[in-house]
Formats: sequence, C-alpha cells, structure tokens
Amino acid sequence: MTAALLLIAALSVATQGIDSLPPRHSPRTVAIDERLAQDAGFRIGDTLVLAATPGGAGDTVIVSALVRRSRDPSEVAKGAYRIRVHLDALQPLVGYGDRVERFAVATRGAAGADSARRAIDEAAFGFRAYSSHEIAVESSTTFLVVSRFHRAIGVITIVASAVFLLCIMLLKVDERRRDVAALRLMGISARTIVRSVVLESALIATLGSVAGVGLGALVSAFVNWHYQRVYRTPLTFSLVTGEIVAIAVVLSLGLGLGAGWLAAQRLVRRPPLSLFGR
Amino acid sequence: MILALARASLVRQRARTLLAVVGVAISAAMLLDMVMLASGMRVSFGSLLLAQGFQIRLAPKGTLPFDTDATIPDASGIVQRLRARSDVIAVSPVLGAQLHVEHGTASVSAAALGTIAAVQGDYKLLEGELPAQDEEIAANDALLAAVGAHIGDTLRVAAGFDPQLRAYTGQRALRIVGRAHFIYLSAGERAMALPLATLQSMEGSSRTDRASLLMVRLRAGADVEAARAAIERDVRTVSAISTATAIEQVEQRLSYFRQLAFILGTVSLAVGFLLVTTLVTVSVNERLGEIAVLRAIGVRRVRIVEQILIEGSAIMLVGAFLGLGLGLVTARYLNSILAAFPGLPEAIDFFLFQPRDAWVALGLLAGCGILAGVYPAWRGASLPIAATLREEAVA
Repeated sequence: MTAALLLIAALSVATQGIDSLPPRHSPRTVAIDERLAQDAGFRIGDTLVLAATPGGAGDTVIVSALVRRSRDPSEVAKGAYRIRVHLDALQPLVGYGDRVERFAVATRGAAGADSARRAIDEAAFGFRAYSSHEIAVESSTTFLVVSRFHRAIGVITIVASAVFLLCIMLLKVDERRRDVAALRLMGISARTIVRSVVLESALIATLGSVAGVGLGALVSAFVNWHYQRVYRTPLTFSLVTGEIVAIAVVLSLGLGLGAGWLAAQRLVRRPPLSLFGR
Repeated sequence: MILALARASLVRQRARTLLAVVGVAISAAMLLDMVMLASGMRVSFGSLLLAQGFQIRLAPKGTLPFDTDATIPDASGIVQRLRARSDVIAVSPVLGAQLHVEHGTASVSAAALGTIAAVQGDYKLLEGELPAQDEEIAANDALLAAVGAHIGDTLRVAAGFDPQLRAYTGQRALRIVGRAHFIYLSAGERAMALPLATLQSMEGSSRTDRASLLMVRLRAGADVEAARAAIERDVRTVSAISTATAIEQVEQRLSYFRQLAFILGTVSLAVGFLLVTTLVTVSVNERLGEIAVLRAIGVRRVRIVEQILIEGSAIMLVGAFLGLGLGLVTARYLNSILAAFPGLPEAIDFFLFQPRDAWVALGLLAGCGILAGVYPAWRGASLPIAATLREEAVA
C-alpha cells in the first residue's frame, strides 16, 4: 500500500521577490499549470519566488514541468491556477507545520480498498476514508444536474418536434386527398393507403434521423472544441455514443410512424366523395 | 370583412390550426424560458449581492470570496483604514470555517461564519437574538435539526481534531441564542454564526486577526468603481470586487447557460416561424381560386395581404399567449432542477420572471408571425387573376 500526501494552498508567484526562508543548497522544483505558463509567459527552467501572501516571505523555486488540467468535472469552472510543490517545501511556506489536507492511498484490488477503508475509519479520529468512486460521484454532482437539465430540455424538444411532424404529415396528406379519393374509388383498400402513408413517414423519419445524427456529431464536435477552449480543459463535454444514436433513431422512427398513422386516419375515415369536396 | 375571411380560413382547417397553435405555444414557452434564463441569473445574483446593501467585497488577493481557504491578514487594521474613508458607511469582516458539533458519540460538521453582529450581512435572524456576546451562536434550521437542539441549548463545538491525542481542538461550549437564515448558503447546508473574535480564537494562531472576506457598504451616491479601485490600491493584500465585477465573473463561469439560452431561443423562434410559414403558405396555395375571385370582384391587393398577414399573426399570437403560461410552468420545473447545483445559494434563480422578458418573447413572436405571413401574402397578392381563375375556379 503506497500513500501520497496532498496539501493545497493559495500562493502568489513573482518572477522577482525576497526569498526569506532558510537558505538551501539548491532551489526546489515545481510543476506549474500550463495555463499559468501561457498567461504569464513562464517556461521550464525559469526561477520564480512563491509566497503565501502577496509581497510576503517567499521561497525561490525552479519550474521543472508544465502540467495540464485533468479531465475533472469539478475543476472545469474554476479559473484558479495550480502549482505543484514538494510537500516539505509547501508546509513551511504556508506555515502549516506537519499537516496535510488528504492522503491518497493505493491498494491491491477492490477488496483491498474496502478492507483498508474500514481499517482506516476504525482507527481514524478526525478524518474519514472515501473510495475513489465516492469522490467521483460527489465531484460530478454539477454535471449530473446539468445532465438532468438537458434531459428536461430534450423532452420539450421532442414534444415540439412531434407536433411539427404531425402538422407536416397532415399538410402532406391533405394535399393528396383527391389522389387518395381516386384510389379509394378504384378499389384500393383503406389499409393499403394507411400502410403507404405510414411507410412514407417512416422513410422521412429515418432520413431525418440519419441527417440528425450527422448534424448532432458535428454540433458535438463544435461544442467540445468551443468549451474546451473557453474553460481551457481537456474534458469532453459532449459525447455521441452508439446508445444515444440508437435512442434518437428509435424515437424519431416512433414519432414518424405515429404521426403518419394519425395523418392517414384523417384520410381514410372520410368517404372518398367528401375527399373530392362533394 | 378581412377579419371574417381570415377567421373563416383558420376555422375551416380546425385540426391544422389547432396543431399550429400548439406548436407555436411550445416554441413560445421555450423562447420565454430561454429569455428568462439569459437574464435571470444576472438579476437574481445581483439582487442577492445587494440584498444587505454591501456594494464591495474584499477577498484574499487573486481569489473570489470563499473560493479558497486563503484568508486576509491584519483584518482589524484594514477595517480601521476602510472606516476612515469618507465614502464608507460600514465594514463587515467575515471569517469562514468548518466547525464540528458534538452529537452523541459522533460529531456533526457545519459551516461557521464569524461576524460582527452589528454590521453583519450574511444572515437574517428569524427568531431570538443576534450572537453578539462571546460564546453565543445563531444556527440555521438544518443544523438545529441535525443536532436536535433549540434556542437556549448549549452545544459543544470544536474547530478541529488532533488525531495523535484523539481529542478535539479549539473546543468551546456555545449557547444558541438565535435561529437564522443564511443568505449565501445553499439549501440544506448546516450553518451557524458566531462572533468573529470567538471563531478566530477557536481556530488558533493561524487565524488570529484574519478574515476570509470583508464586505463594504458605501454612502448613497458614492462612485462604487472609484471606491473599489482606491481600496484595491490602498490594501495590497486583497482583491476588491464590486457587485458588477462579481456578476461578470459568475457569468463568465456560467456562460454556458447564456449561450445555451441564446441557441435554444433562436431555434425555438425559427421552429415557430417555419411552422406558421408552412401552414399559411399551404393554406394560401389551397385557396388560390378563392383569392383570384376576391381580386376579380374588386378586393384590393392590400386587403389580400392584410388577410394573410392576420392569419399568420393570429396563429402566432394565440400560440404565444398559451406559450407564456406554459413557459412559466416549465421554467419553474427547470429552475427546480438547476437549484440542485452544489453550493448554489438558495436565493439564486436561474429562471427569474420579469415582465420585460414576457414582452421581449411576445414581441419576437409577433414579429415572426408577421414575417411568416410575408411570403404567402406576396404569393397571394401577386396572382395573375385571369390565369388563376381559369386554372383553379373553372377547373
């Protein structure tokens, strides 16, 4: 079982400043946020002074690496820069003593994680052990809310699409009422006419859903490109999965068949002569 | 006559007109919701920040209020300097911390705000007294329910834990003197308020004379931006944030919702427009003979245009009025979903109804209704009378 220690603090960075900590043989290294490097023009090898307060006592460090933000939803809207400092360098800098904010514990397998968690909780006073899954669920709450919001908007959109589709199908069958009347008078059964209208609307719905999936994939790519730039994160915001495509196609087919059937019923329930306007 | 003809034309195809009205109503509802979403958050957040009359907030340099655990040193000195300014009426220092209330064998965690009761702007007292004396607290309903306590009870509250000694640190016996509602906290979050000095001493030397936030109330008519800039120049350890800046920063973080509102609002308007245009165009195509007869008996071209425009506008307006009602219901539902955002103050509304929003939505829909009738009206009015009569009426 290996453990990592973490202490997070807000630090001020200056390219020049007063190093007031006891002198060491050589400056420690830090890894800085890629965004900070871009915005402030820092590069690997630069010497910086880190301080807990602006203008306060500082520590000279050397930038040894640039780090990119992880795909963490809880981080996405946070604009603050991150600097990764050696724990034993950060503790004296922020006057935190021999303290950390959390331990990350690696275990052998899921069973090991559960038993380790129980053992830590039993022995612990003043802290609690959480599994990575629990933390992931907690930190994804924001996105779960957004997801519920999207679902609600999706339902409204589907209702609007259904009404629109029904309107279009009604218009289409109304346009052909004379043709249908002629077919009926020639002896074509009402069932055949209903089938042909339903088939037509299913075809339209299929073509529409194929076009919709293509458009959705394009919009999804645009959304990812745009928001990854806005929030400067590698997080994927929009995913078009096979399951989503299947739901969209089935839903639009269902709507198309329903709208076609309803529209066809308007045609076949009226006597052929009344469709001629007599 | 024109109105009667327009009405007759709409009533003739009842199912079609009804569906169009329903379609427009859904589009209108969505449009209203999106207009409300675009402005609601800004207005709601602005009024929340100004609820207690504090126009400027000072947070540790480079941070937003309570965004990190960083604190402002020499809080009392800064308060004195700010109070000396002629444009400042009141300064409220606030220290935030997490405290632990002993409850049986376990402990209940709660957010704690150390404030000066006389000038605080973070909570409203619902019952009892303000916690002005040392070792007094005001708690919210969530905390009182969690520990089963009432006004007058005493709680044992600790600032932290010492794992090596297996003991609480900074522990005090605090008496509940009031029941409060915390303005900036999310629904269900357990919280208590206590005197600033009490919390600072409980937290130990790391919080001596420190504050997480300072709120500044200016005199009426004072230039907020000038005061903000002057304070930031004067106090080097803080970032001074005016209400406008705070709203801008929150909007930047939640820009997604504004963009979504714009896109969905535009799509709703386009769908409503297409629906009405399609219906009125088909309706005009079906009545080419009738329109040609009207023209032949002397009805002027402008009258035909008016009739078709009235048809389109009528569908749009009836649908819009229905949609406004529907929109308010859906906005309430959508707001209840977004209210579950972690850490969102209870008083923030994403969908805030303002009469202006309804007028904007109605105006856009009315404009679309008129535009939707333009093409079919032009088509109806520019018919060659004789040829159309021959093709349509005689046939």
